Amino acid sequence: MSTQELITQELITQVKIQRYLPEQHNEPYWQTFTVPMDESTSILDALNHIKEEQDPSLSYRWSCRMAICGSCGVMVNGIPKLGCKTFLRDYSGPLKIEPLAHFPIEKDLMVDMDTFLQHLTAVQPYLIPDFINEQPASTEPYKQTPAQLAKYRQFANCINCGLCYSACPQFGLNAEFLGPAALTLAHRYNLDSRDTGKDQRMAQLNSHEGVWGCTFVGFCSEVCPKGVDPAAAVNQGKVEAAKSTLIALFKG
Amino acid sequence: MHNKAGFEKPLNALWWLKHRFFKAYMLREATVIPLLFFIGCMLAGIYSLLQGENQWLAWLGFMQQSWVVGLNILALLASLYHALTFFVLFPRVMPLSLGDYRIPAWAIVAGQWMAVVAVLLFFGWLFL
Ligand code: SF4
Ligand code: FES
Repeated sequence: MSTQELITQELITQVKIQRYLPEQHNEPYWQTFTVPMDESTSILDALNHIKEEQDPSLSYRWSCRMAICGSCGVMVNGIPKLGCKTFLRDYSGPLKIEPLAHFPIEKDLMVDMDTFLQHLTAVQPYLIPDFINEQPASTEPYKQTPAQLAKYRQFANCINCGLCYSACPQFGLNAEFLGPAALTLAHRYNLDSRDTGKDQRMAQLNSHEGVWGCTFVGFCSEVCPKGVDPAAAVNQGKVEAAKSTLIALFKG
Repeated sequence: MHNKAGFEKPLNALWWLKHRFFKAYMLREATVIPLLFFIGCMLAGIYSLLQGENQWLAWLGFMQQSWVVGLNILALLASLYHALTFFVLFPRVMPLSLGDYRIPAWAIVAGQWMAVVAVLLFFGWLFL
């Protein structure tokens, strides 16, 4: 449909939203809303419209509305998406919006992301200085060449939106699995030339809840809105984990 | 691990039917089943060879039955499909570079297929 047509026609579309109000219902239920749309209406715009004009009780998260903060993740027709980066114009027929899969639902489209945040912090996602050789903390800035930066740059683009966890059946089956974003973050620091914490992270990565919980389904990388390719990071992590097992074996 | 609260729906056993992408994944994983049959055939062959001529001939007879041939053709197609998926994933797991030059993924995939063809040609030359 051309922009001209969209301007002259008042377009409306139907949006089915999964509601959950724990004080009033034991289970989620579906509610259909009719919203106006044009060429630029995002899922988040539609939700805002419903909240402002039709039902102020609708709950969902958002902040930046420009794919930076990572808080507006929802399932759109069963696929995890950022609400602010997904547009009504790309869908035909009624839209189904649900909270992110594999997380407990708190209210409407808001899920409890505690497990995800715990997994992120569990991998020590910060530069770990060289304690072993007891290098004195330098007051000089850490220098890094463009080539050293390029090694981990792609994996540093994660915005912690959690879409990859909703795409990952292994996380869905076992919430103890550290999951795509946390394992990617660990790999990102392991690849950083300024970091010496790889050995500290390895015990956790080299476990069933770590990289070996992944079977390379690969859907995480399909849904990632930032092109991070977590599946690649996790499976590069398997190579590293296998190497460290071999080295430990030879050292006895 | 503590969870604040909330409604939870456990994943049911048919989760992989929900999306085309998951079905392709399950197909990739399922390629191991016909392959197990092929490996079983090979092990039986080696065993019957050790048992003597009668056993060996019986095994050859078994292998020529049409359903056995059919299953083994399926195993071949399944492993080719598995190779296809594996080759595409490989450059993401093992990105290769020459000095500062990152070898593009398509070149690695093409290289792997060339290796397959080379191995087939080598065995063809050896046995034919
Ligand atoms: S890896 Fe991608 S999908 Fe996963 S949390 Fe980070 S930005 Fe979101
Ligand atoms: S509102 Fe911030 S990522 Fe969508």
